[in-house]
Amino acid sequence: MTADAVPVTSTITAILTDGVVKGAVYALVALGYTMVYGVLGMINFAHGEVFMIGMFACVYGIGAMSTAWGDHVALNLMLGVVIAMIFSAAYGYANERIAYRRLRRAHVLAPLTSAIGVSTFLQYFIFLTVSKQNVDFPRYYSDWLTNGHVRFATVDVTYLQLAIIGTTLVLMAALFYFINATRMGIALRAVAQDQLMAGLVGIPVNKVIAFTFVLGSALAAVAGVMVAMYNDVLGFDAGYRVGLKAFTAAILGGIGNVPGAVLGAVILGVSEALTTYWYGSGWSDVTTFVVLMLVLLLRPRGLLGERVADKV
Amino acid sequence: MARWRPYVLGLLGLAAITFPFLWLTLAPDFARNTMRVSWTPRHGLQFFSDLSPVFLGALLIWLGSWSNKRWHWQARLAGLVPAQRRAESIRGLKFALMPLVLSGAFFLSASSLGIFTNVAIYMILALGLNITVGMTGLLVLGYAGFYMFGAYVFGLGQEHLPFFPWWLAMPFAFVLGGGAGYLLGLPCLRLRGDYLAIVTLGFAEAFRELVRNLPITGADQGILLAPHATFRPQLFLGKGQMAFVITALLVFLAVFLIERLHRSPVGRAWIAIRENEIAAASVGVPVVQMKLLAFSLSAAIAALAGVIAGAKDGFVSPALGEFPQSITILAMVILGGLGNSYGALLGAALLYAVPQYLALLPSTIQQNPGLQAAIPPFLREALSHLSDYHLLLFGAVMVIMMLYRPQGLLGSARRKEEMLHR
Repeated sequence: MTADAVPVTSTITAILTDGVVKGAVYALVALGYTMVYGVLGMINFAHGEVFMIGMFACVYGIGAMSTAWGDHVALNLMLGVVIAMIFSAAYGYANERIAYRRLRRAHVLAPLTSAIGVSTFLQYFIFLTVSKQNVDFPRYYSDWLTNGHVRFATVDVTYLQLAIIGTTLVLMAALFYFINATRMGIALRAVAQDQLMAGLVGIPVNKVIAFTFVLGSALAAVAGVMVAMYNDVLGFDAGYRVGLKAFTAAILGGIGNVPGAVLGAVILGVSEALTTYWYGSGWSDVTTFVVLMLVLLLRPRGLLGERVADKV
Repeated sequence: MARWRPYVLGLLGLAAITFPFLWLTLAPDFARNTMRVSWTPRHGLQFFSDLSPVFLGALLIWLGSWSNKRWHWQARLAGLVPAQRRAESIRGLKFALMPLVLSGAFFLSASSLGIFTNVAIYMILALGLNITVGMTGLLVLGYAGFYMFGAYVFGLGQEHLPFFPWWLAMPFAFVLGGGAGYLLGLPCLRLRGDYLAIVTLGFAEAFRELVRNLPITGADQGILLAPHATFRPQLFLGKGQMAFVITALLVFLAVFLIERLHRSPVGRAWIAIRENEIAAASVGVPVVQMKLLAFSLSAAIAALAGVIAGAKDGFVSPALGEFPQSITILAMVILGGLGNSYGALLGAALLYAVPQYLALLPSTIQQNPGLQAAIPPFLREALSHLSDYHLLLFGAVMVIMMLYRPQGLLGSARRKEEMLHR
């Protein structure tokens, strides 16, 4: 292949790759929904906004570092991701502490409404204080990832796509290990099963719940940075769309079920990529909805969910 | 001191996590395709000074509730008029209200009339949403989708039928909107309440995308309605007056019918479902049917409001179904008081009219030297910017109401207990 050749790709495989990459991102966000749901039984509607905060925190971090000590791509990018995780985790924690903790014993409507309030507030907070338009991700930091690619049989996969899939796999594995094998993970599962009982055997329930939010938010931040690089833009409303899709993925896989969220996300990502390929980009949101409706109609507990329609 | 420690730490934490967004500005470096950040305290200060009237208002409310705890002035004030007399006078006021409101068509200025017509449309929407969210306890997040649906029933019908004026479109939209609600509710009303919230949100979004992408719905421009199908000057009423009178009459009709329904066996069944679905089912309330009825009725009302919006504006567009619309309507219902029709009216009036008048305020102050003298300059500046902040404030209102007054402004103590304990 000559240096300036356009990447040769067989279209359908490229589309599928794109779908899997999108699915990987949705999976990271969907995990946040599904963990909170599994533990608290509430939909954390503001999770998409935490993801969006991660995007912006990363760009702010990169900007600050490039102003302070110049553009060292690898260093700044890595620290940028860490900053994004810290900020998102802090926002996730603050949401839980301010808007949800007091409503834990309340009617289902109360925390959900509160979450919608937080989501609206954060969106317009960024809208008013940062930017009313989309902001371009600093291309200097993402170009080497989007331009370089590896050839697999018939498809060119960019470094970024590889990095997204790789990061997602590593984080999933870490999360799996965490939930199944560490003390905190066991405490988390205990709280998910029965808060009162877990409290009685000495598990610090409040801390565990707060930690669930922190963990989910940090994962969402990683997803946020990757989406910002993949799409090249970030905006105040980015979290809301991705959040809706990730939520659909979580339901598709069976909400409250961690592997299910991953499976649902990949299926959703691929079906979206295919719809975009066949009908145009305007239709991808319609796919999400159709998938959501079909799941609820045919298998409301999702693909891997165990629980049948929950009581209210 | 120890009592204040968590608050101080909390505030410091919030200051830390909002620091970059408030006090720093992103400055793209286009030459090198990178990003710089500059320190701009002016932006942060601007943010706080713009919100200063809100902080002032919050302080007043806090002072009010603090002094009430101390001196119980609310109860003493209420004690001045016996409860029986109060109920009677409120009932009397309701009947006096109708001619007063309708006569508004003649003495209000054109711009105020436009604002109040929109207030009335939002009142109808809030009343409709209140049936599901307030009375039955089902959260609907994509309510504006049904609003847009009704508008497009009118728009498309008007495009394809030779004779399809607004008054013919209304029953059509009502029935079709109800049908759409029924079909949408069928799969998800069997499930946990929050699924419905997300499904309706998904429906609204997907429907809007569909409308924006299909050739027959005119994409983002929407559909222009023929003038003969929209509100027209009739008898002695001008176009704007006509729109106002019809919408206001519909608000009265809706309040009357919905309140009747609220007190009927159907309304009781809704309340029972809201309070405890399992208990309701066990005493023989047909839970799914009642939920479907509530949901499709509220969808039908939204569709009706959509026809009015189309007839008033002369066109229909996907902008009607945007997500902030749904959130605004929901915030109205929550602020006013879930399950209380009068609360929905109050919420709609406050959350629509206040931002609108705030937006008009700068020019009003400019034209009125008396006001200019009365309002201190910093407040004048802040008030003129405040209308940009209304969605931010809606979000904050929703959270604060849920935490401190989940029953809403006009809610009962009973409703508060329901919301705080499950």
